[in-house]
Amino acid sequence: MSSKGAKAGASGKAKKPTKPGAEDKREDVLQAVIIADSFQTRFRPFTLEKPRCLLPLANTPLLEYTLEFLAMNGVQEVFIYASSFQEQIESYIRQSRWTPIARSCPFSTVDFIRVSDARSIGDFLRDLDKRGLIESDFILVHGDLVSNISLDGALAAHRARKEANRDSIMTMVLREGGEDEHRAKVNGISPVFAVDPQAKRCLHYEEMNPLQSDHHVELDSDMLKQPELEIRADLIDAQIDICTPDVLALWSESFDYELPRANYLHGVLKDYELNGKMIHTEIVSDGYAARATNFQMYEAIGRDVLDGWTHPFTPDSNLIKKHTYQLRDNNVYREDEVTINDGCDISNAALGQDTAVGLESSIENSIIGRNCKIGKGVVIKDSIIWEDVTIDDYAVVEHSIIAEFSTVGKNSQVSSGCLLGSGVVVGDGIAVAKSSIISVLSAMGTSATPNTELLGPRGKGTLFIDPDIEDMGEDDPERLQLSLGYSLEGYELYASSVSTLASGDEEVLSDDEARDTVRSGRTTSFASDDSSTAGASNFVTEAVLGLLEVLRGESGDFDSEKLEFTSLRLANDASDSAVRRAVATALVRRAVELINAESGGMETSKAAKCVLTERKGAKEFVSEVGVGGDSVPEQVDFILAVQRACVSISRVIEVQKAGALCSALFQQMYSEDILEEEGILKWWEDARAKEGGEAMEQVREKCKALVDWLEEAEEEDSDEESDED
Amino acid sequence: MAPPKGGYAPTLDKFLDTLKGRPLEASIESLVSLLKRRQIQGSEPCALATAHILLQVVVMDKYTDVNQLLARIQGVARRLVAAQPRELVIGNIVRRVLGLIRDEALENRNEVGSDESISSPSMFNLLADPDTTPPMWSTGASPAPGSGVSTPMADPQSTDVKALRSEVIDGIEEIMDEIRQVDEQVQAYSDIIIHPGDYILVHQPCKTVQRFLTRSKRKCTVFLVVDPSAEDPYASFRKSMAATGSVVVNIMNTGLMAYMSRVNKVILSARAIMSTGGVLVDGGASVIARAARELGRTVIVIGGVYKLSPDNQIDQETATEWGNPSKCVNYSDGRMVRQVTVKTAVSEYVPAELVSTYITNLGAHSRDHLHAIVNDHYKEADSEFDLYGTIRK
Repeated sequence: MSSKGAKAGASGKAKKPTKPGAEDKREDVLQAVIIADSFQTRFRPFTLEKPRCLLPLANTPLLEYTLEFLAMNGVQEVFIYASSFQEQIESYIRQSRWTPIARSCPFSTVDFIRVSDARSIGDFLRDLDKRGLIESDFILVHGDLVSNISLDGALAAHRARKEANRDSIMTMVLREGGEDEHRAKVNGISPVFAVDPQAKRCLHYEEMNPLQSDHHVELDSDMLKQPELEIRADLIDAQIDICTPDVLALWSESFDYELPRANYLHGVLKDYELNGKMIHTEIVSDGYAARATNFQMYEAIGRDVLDGWTHPFTPDSNLIKKHTYQLRDNNVYREDEVTINDGCDISNAALGQDTAVGLESSIENSIIGRNCKIGKGVVIKDSIIWEDVTIDDYAVVEHSIIAEFSTVGKNSQVSSGCLLGSGVVVGDGIAVAKSSIISVLSAMGTSATPNTELLGPRGKGTLFIDPDIEDMGEDDPERLQLSLGYSLEGYELYASSVSTLASGDEEVLSDDEARDTVRSGRTTSFASDDSSTAGASNFVTEAVLGLLEVLRGESGDFDSEKLEFTSLRLANDASDSAVRRAVATALVRRAVELINAESGGMETSKAAKCVLTERKGAKEFVSEVGVGGDSVPEQVDFILAVQRACVSISRVIEVQKAGALCSALFQQMYSEDILEEEGILKWWEDARAKEGGEAMEQVREKCKALVDWLEEAEEEDSDEESDED
Repeated sequence: MAPPKGGYAPTLDKFLDTLKGRPLEASIESLVSLLKRRQIQGSEPCALATAHILLQVVVMDKYTDVNQLLARIQGVARRLVAAQPRELVIGNIVRRVLGLIRDEALENRNEVGSDESISSPSMFNLLADPDTTPPMWSTGASPAPGSGVSTPMADPQSTDVKALRSEVIDGIEEIMDEIRQVDEQVQAYSDIIIHPGDYILVHQPCKTVQRFLTRSKRKCTVFLVVDPSAEDPYASFRKSMAATGSVVVNIMNTGLMAYMSRVNKVILSARAIMSTGGVLVDGGASVIARAARELGRTVIVIGGVYKLSPDNQIDQETATEWGNPSKCVNYSDGRMVRQVTVKTAVSEYVPAELVSTYITNLGAHSRDHLHAIVNDHYKEADSEFDLYGTIRK
C-alpha cells in the first residue's frame, strides 16, 4: 500500500507512549482529537468562569454534542486538548457518562492532554505531533461542534484517495449552505473555497469580511488551467477534518501557523509547490454541522436544535442521563416537574426541570434551563436563559442571554442584545439598555463593584468592559463576532469591483454582496451629498480605489493615473463634484492609513505632508484634477469635499483626530500652493461648511487655528502694504 | 489494514456482534444510546435488539429467584423504552419475555410442586384473578398494580433458577425466530388478498409487505407511494414485480386522491397494532388510510404478531414521533430554516375505524379478533405494567 511509508514513520515515533503490541490492530480503530479551547474571548463574560465547550446549548453542554457526534460515527479513542479551564473540563468528563470507567462510555479511551504554554490551536497540534499518539487517520473537531453528519462516506473517500496518492493528507467535511443568507453561516466572515469539483480538491482558501477594503479574492493564474473550477462562498464550514498524521507534521514544519483555516489551510494550499500535499473537500448536502463560534452562532444553533434540524440530537432524545424532555404541542420541549400556570402562552421553547412559570406569562422562541422561577405576566422572547434564574413578575426579556443564578427584578426590562453574566441581579423597575453586557466579574476575573445606579439598589454587577475589545481597531472584523445581534451599522464599508474571474453562480452571489455593501456605504459616507446618483457613486468608489493604489505606490504613477481617471470619469459621466469627492476621499483615506499604519503610525501633520509629497506628481494631480482650476469657488468646492471626506472617515478615527487631519491637509495644500488663502477663508465663511450635522461642525472648528493664522497673515500683508504706502 | 466493513458507524449488526464479549451493563448502555441516536430504528430491528439484550440479561445476570429476574428485566425495559418511547415493539417484546418467565416459573413450580409454602399462594390465587396476581408472588404483600415491584420469594432453589434460565433462554430464542419468520409466514396469505387485475396502493412498503406482494404471482398494478427526497430503495422490488408481469407505478403523496378511485386495496405496513385496532404507521400513511376510507376502499394492515401491542393508551399525540425536518426541506434553504418551523412525522396513528383487515403471521383478523390474540400473547400483569413512567403524563 502506498501509504505504508508514512505509516511506518508515524508508528516509529509512536512506539514509546503506546502499549506494545497494540500497533497491528490499530488501523481499524478510529481516533479523534477535540480542540476544547478556542483561544478567543468572544464568549466573555460567560467564559470568565467556564470554558466555551461547557456552555449550555439547549440546556446541554456543547461538548456533549461533540462527543455524541464522535460516538455516532464510531470513534473509539478520543484525545481532548485544553489549556485554560482544563481541570473543569476534565472533572466534567470524569463525572459524566463519557469517562472510560463508566460502562456507558462508547470510547475505549478518553485522554486529556494538557499543554500549559499553548497560545493557539497550532501549538496544540504541534504538540500532538511530538507525542506521536496518532498513528492513522483521525478526525479533528472543535469542542463547540454540533453535528449529525455521518462520516462513513467521507472516511471511505478519504481512505481511497490516500491509497491512490499518499500526498492526500486531509479531507474537510463541508455542508452546503445555499446561496441565500443562512443563520448557520458565520456572519462577518465568509470562507471562500476554490475547489476542483472533479477531484474534490481544494485549491485555494481565503476568508473575507465585509470590512475589508477590497472585495475580491486573488487566484493564482495557474488555477485557471484547471478544466473546471468552482469558487464557493456558500459553504458552512464546521471544521470537521479527517486528517492523516502528515497533517500534524506540516503543522510542526510551520511554527507560526495558529489557526487551522486562515493560517494552515490557506498556507498549505498556497505552498503546494513546496510541500506537494493535497487537501480535499467532502461537500455534503445532508445532515447538520455548525460550530458555536460566537454568540450569533450559539443562538442560531440553539434554534436549530429546537426546530429539530440536529435530529436526533434534540432535547427529547434526552442524551444526558436524567434529562426527561418530552416534545409537546406548539413545539415545546418540557421536562418533568415543570409547572406552568394558567393563561400562559408558550411556543417553540424548551423548559428544564423544576422550572415554574407564573400566571399569564408568555414565552416564545426561548430556551429556559432547570430550576428557573418565572413570575406572573412575564414576557420572554427569543432569549436563552440558563439554570437557576429568577425572572420576577411582569418583567420583559427580549433577545438576550441570561446566565445562571441571575435575577431580573419586577417590571424590569432587558432589551434586545443584552448579555447578563452569572449572578447578575437587575433590580425592580429597571430598564437595561440594548446590547448591554453586564457581569459581576471584571475582565480580569476579579469581582466588580455593583453599579447600583444602573441596576437599582439591590443590583449586582456592572457593565462589562473587555480591554481586548477596547484595544481592537474600529474596523477590525473581529468586532463583528462579538455581539448577539449582527449588524454592519456604524461601520465604514468599502466597496470595490469584484474579482476579475467573474463567472459562475458563486461569483454572482458575491457580486450581490458587494452591491449590498456599496449601498450601505453610500448612504453612510455620502449622505450629505445630494448629487450621489448610482453612476457617480460607482465612479467615486472605483476612482478612489485606483487613486489609493497609486498613492500607496502599489501601481503606476500619476501621469498614467490621470489618463485612467479621466477616462473613468468620461465613462461614468461623472460631475465635477464627484471628481473632487473622489480625490478628496482618496487623500483622506491614504492619510488615515498612514496614521493607523501598523509599523508606527505618523503624526497627522506628517501624514498630510506625506500624502501630498510622497509620490511624485501627487501635488500636480490634486491641483489639476482635484481642484480643477484657479477660481475661488472651485477651491471652495474642493475644500468642502475634503472636509466631508474627513467627516465620513470619523467613523474610523475619532472626530477630533479627523478634524486635526483636515486642518493639517489644508495647511499642507496651502503651503504647496494647491490652495490659496482666499479659498480657505471663503470656505470658512461658506454656509455649506457648517451644514450636515455635528461632525461637520467639529471638523470645521478644528481648522479655526489655521484660518485665524491665515487671517492674521493677510492682515499683516495688508499692514505691510499699508506701511509701504 | 482495512477499515471495518460498512464503515465505522455503529449499527444493529455490529451491536449484536459485540454482545458476547462485553459486560452486560455496557451492552445495555450501548443499546440505549443507539436507540436514542436512532442508529437502531424501525420495528423489526428494535424488536430483535430488545430480544437480544433481554436474552443477555437472562444469561449473564445474577439472580436467585424469579422475582429478581422479573424486576431486573423491568428495570432494563424502562431504560430501553425511555430511549425510544414511540417504538411500541420494544414494550411488546419486554412483555412477551416477562410473560414467558412467569409461565416457565409456574411450570417449574408445578413440577416441583410439593412444597407447602408454594401451595398456599397457589390456593390464594385460585380465588384471585390468575392474571393480575401471578402465582409466583407470595401472599400478604399485595403489590401496587402495575408497579412491577414484588416481594422476593423466601429460600429459592438454585436448581429451579438454573432450569428456569435455560427454559427462558429457549423461549426468547423462539421469540427471535418468530420475528425472523414473520415475512415468510405472512406471505402465505397473499393469494387470499391479491387477485389478478387488482389495483393495489402501498405506502413505503417494508420488507414484509414487499415480499407479500411479490409472492403472489398474480398480475396486478401496484401504486407505490414513495418519499420523493429519499433514494429509491425499491429497485429489487420493482424488478421482481415486473418478473410476474405486474406494473409498478410511483406516485407522490400529493397526487394521491387522483389514483384512489382506481385502487381496490390499500396495503399499509404497521409499526405497531393496538388491541383496539388502531395502528401505528410510517409518517404519511395515515392520510392514505383516510383517503381510502373516504372512497370506501379496503385498507389492509400487515405486520407480525410481535407488533401487536397490549398498550391501549395510544392516541395521535403519544404516537407521533417527530423526525428530522430535512426530509422535507433542505437545510441549505436559509430562508425556510429561519422563518418556518418544519415538522416531519416519522410515525403516525391510524384510528381503528379506518382499517378493514389485519394480516399477521397467524392469519387474517378482524378488529374484534385482535383482543383475543393480545390476550393469548400477553399476561395481564405485564400488560398493565407501566413502562412509561412520566413519559406519557
